[in-house]
Amino acid sequence: MNPLSTLGVARSRREILKSSALALLPFAIPLRSRASQDQPPMTANGGADPYPIPWLDKNGSHNQPAGPTLEPSHIYHFKGRVARSSTFSGTGTDTQGNRIAFGTATTDYGVMQGEYWAARAAQQGTFTHI
Amino acid sequence: MAPVNQIHDCHPPISPSGLYWVVPVPAGGLSVSPDGNTFTLEMRNVAVVDQPRWPALDSIATPARMTFKMVWKSTGEPIKIEDPSKHFRFTGTRAACQMEAQIEVPSISFSWKSDPLETSTCDFAIIGDEVNGRYYDT
Repeated sequence: MNPLSTLGVARSRREILKSSALALLPFAIPLRSRASQDQPPMTANGGADPYPIPWLDKNGSHNQPAGPTLEPSHIYHFKGRVARSSTFSGTGTDTQGNRIAFGTATTDYGVMQGEYWAARAAQQGTFTHI
Repeated sequence: MAPVNQIHDCHPPISPSGLYWVVPVPAGGLSVSPDGNTFTLEMRNVAVVDQPRWPALDSIATPARMTFKMVWKSTGEPIKIEDPSKHFRFTGTRAACQMEAQIEVPSISFSWKSDPLETSTCDFAIIGDEVNGRYYDT
């Protein structure tokens, strides 16, 4: 007796294999669920890096030039200490002994230390713009 | 616009968020005098890039390292900067600022070291406190 023909419909070996694969699916799903339960729970609140200042400079960047009427900080949603400086000039020496000046009108630096808002919570940090 | 004689321009990369040339300062990197009148920022081997043709969009960025010390000293002259439309307020004083730095661009065997801190000058500097963004109205 051929067991594949007992239902009165002849089935090819390939059809039987398809049916078997589908029959396995309900068993495979619980296995996958158990695997995901092993992963630590996670949030999706965004990164803890500070936000840039929203406004764009003339180059299309979130950069703040330094000046007596301009915002000193380079990070947004911030409160804390700030120091800012620009238009450095000085001189140094390279590997070959050449004297090379540094600084332009836009050579500017800054440091920010305090509380900032990111990842939907208050964060503490110190950052520098160099 | 970069000066025509500019041969190196070292700064951190712009972050994916748009944060502009900003990097975290390790613990102890910034020290503030007890009276709040002197800020000293010191960092070693900061990962930066050298982009000699900055701000050209196709300026090649070569990995580099920067070590520096920067000192701000308050002059005592008060300064307040505020723009309600941009939600920021700064209150502090004008300051003097000097720096010394060292740059290394290993791939081209370039290094440069500035003269001592006392020999540098700076035309504009301020220190103080700022609030902006969500903290502006609180």
